[in-house]
Amino acid sequence: MTRIRVLLGALGVAAGLYGVLLLLDLGGENLRATGIWLVGGVILHDAVLAPATVLLAYGAAWVAGRVTGRRLPAPVIVGAVVLGAATLVAVPVLGREQARPNPTLLDRDYVLGWWVLAGLTLVVVVGALLRDRVRRRGGADGTRAGRR
Amino acid sequence: MARVDVRGISIPVPDENDFTSRLRSPAVASRVGVWLGICFGIAFLTGVISHQAQAADPLIPFPTRPVWGYRLSQGLHVITGTAAIPLLLVKLWTVFPKLFARPPKRLRMLVVEGLERSSIAVLVSAAIFQLASGLANSAQWYPWGFQFRATHYAMAWVAIGALLVHIAVKLPVIRDSLRGDIEQTVHDRPAATEQGELSRRGLVRSAVLAAGVAVLATAGSTVPLLRKVSVFGVRSGEGPAGIPINVTARAAGVTASALSRDFELTVVHAGATRTFTRTELAALSQTSAELPIACVEGWSASGLWTGVRLRDLLDLVGAPRGRDVHVVSLQERGTYRQSTLPHQFADDDLTLLALGLNGEPLALDHGYPCRLIAPNRPGVLQTKWVTHLEVLA
Repeated sequence: MTRIRVLLGALGVAAGLYGVLLLLDLGGENLRATGIWLVGGVILHDAVLAPATVLLAYGAAWVAGRVTGRRLPAPVIVGAVVLGAATLVAVPVLGREQARPNPTLLDRDYVLGWWVLAGLTLVVVVGALLRDRVRRRGGADGTRAGRR
Repeated sequence: MARVDVRGISIPVPDENDFTSRLRSPAVASRVGVWLGICFGIAFLTGVISHQAQAADPLIPFPTRPVWGYRLSQGLHVITGTAAIPLLLVKLWTVFPKLFARPPKRLRMLVVEGLERSSIAVLVSAAIFQLASGLANSAQWYPWGFQFRATHYAMAWVAIGALLVHIAVKLPVIRDSLRGDIEQTVHDRPAATEQGELSRRGLVRSAVLAAGVAVLATAGSTVPLLRKVSVFGVRSGEGPAGIPINVTARAAGVTASALSRDFELTVVHAGATRTFTRTELAALSQTSAELPIACVEGWSASGLWTGVRLRDLLDLVGAPRGRDVHVVSLQERGTYRQSTLPHQFADDDLTLLALGLNGEPLALDHGYPCRLIAPNRPGVLQTKWVTHLEVLA
């Protein structure tokens, strides 16, 4: 395995250095503009998105504890992961309808689309919660409540 | 939570042990990592293909078949890039506590760990850069000052290089984790013991599900079957003659010159020059071909193009086979006002100077009076509003 690791590592370093050379070739102004995004992206994730996720998760768990006396149900977590990720993917189109003078580009109602997706997610999550509740009451099939 | 004194003020700093969920485990990270690695691998390879397709001097001549090759390759590029976004977010979530790990005290360990952490910093930074810039570019949003294509290509090598280094460093842990049960705890942080309602397997499935939903919500721009489903699709697929447009005639500033009665196409080879009005082009032998238009931004559509075979025009000026052709648009500005058509495309029977699309005369925004359409080429090189063809020596 050591051989494979050394080979992979050497290949990786070579590929990375080639990329750095390509990047340097594009000039100082381009490098500066790239640097802003390289650093900004990490800051946006590590200092904004990740802490916000942690806080949101704590908040949701606290509310769930108060309301139901239980831990945050699995379907709610899954729904949040799916909708949260889809919302981030939609950032470049949300609110940018017809941003360019081209009737065939960004030609949907993306805000409406988001609500449709959010509604669908909600329906599936509530459906799963009800299913889990029925199972917990019945308990006949022996599955643990809340586990997916 | 540890506290750090900054100028007499005690500030709470999270510690790795503050994160107690047992979902934040290498057993989860490695499984999500496999999916993420597959996506990055495909995006990298298809990215290199696209770069070669646009290169003035490719390593090997770009093939003209299959006609849908570039459509498939670039569609995969954007689809795997989109799928990687939820996967990367979940992956980073599972390893986030590591960011707050205390550095080791022994110098040798400090150096080793410092190197490893640096490689991870490069990987995370390059990965976020690639996914964010690619996603924005697919929606024609350019909130940056760098050249997109060249920079995205350079950073792709950095990202894939850092990924290989990361795999090399973590290989023993990855192997253990993937061979063992997902519930195993051998490589877990000691604090990661808190059991929630979501299982580890449930989290891995959620990441894959989220990736699938992100793809379904966007891929309609290139997969016709998904057009109705893709609520975040950059294009609904509508447009003149049922095909979307990338740059309108107005945006290109060619409305007046394209509609002018004086429009002429010039074909030049060595000393011979021939000119054609659109009527004269329409009087030449017409050929139809079902060819996709596949943009670098990832959208694509297939159409039935009708027009003059480019090779027929070249024959009229006595140009031999095997010559590249310089194609110039009426467009006065912009990188893509001209293109060089490699000889294998110029000589191909399916390469047309199109006058019509899907049974209608070519719309102004599709390149009226005539446009280039060749098999297996990126859309940006399918020059519109063509006014000048020159056979290169």
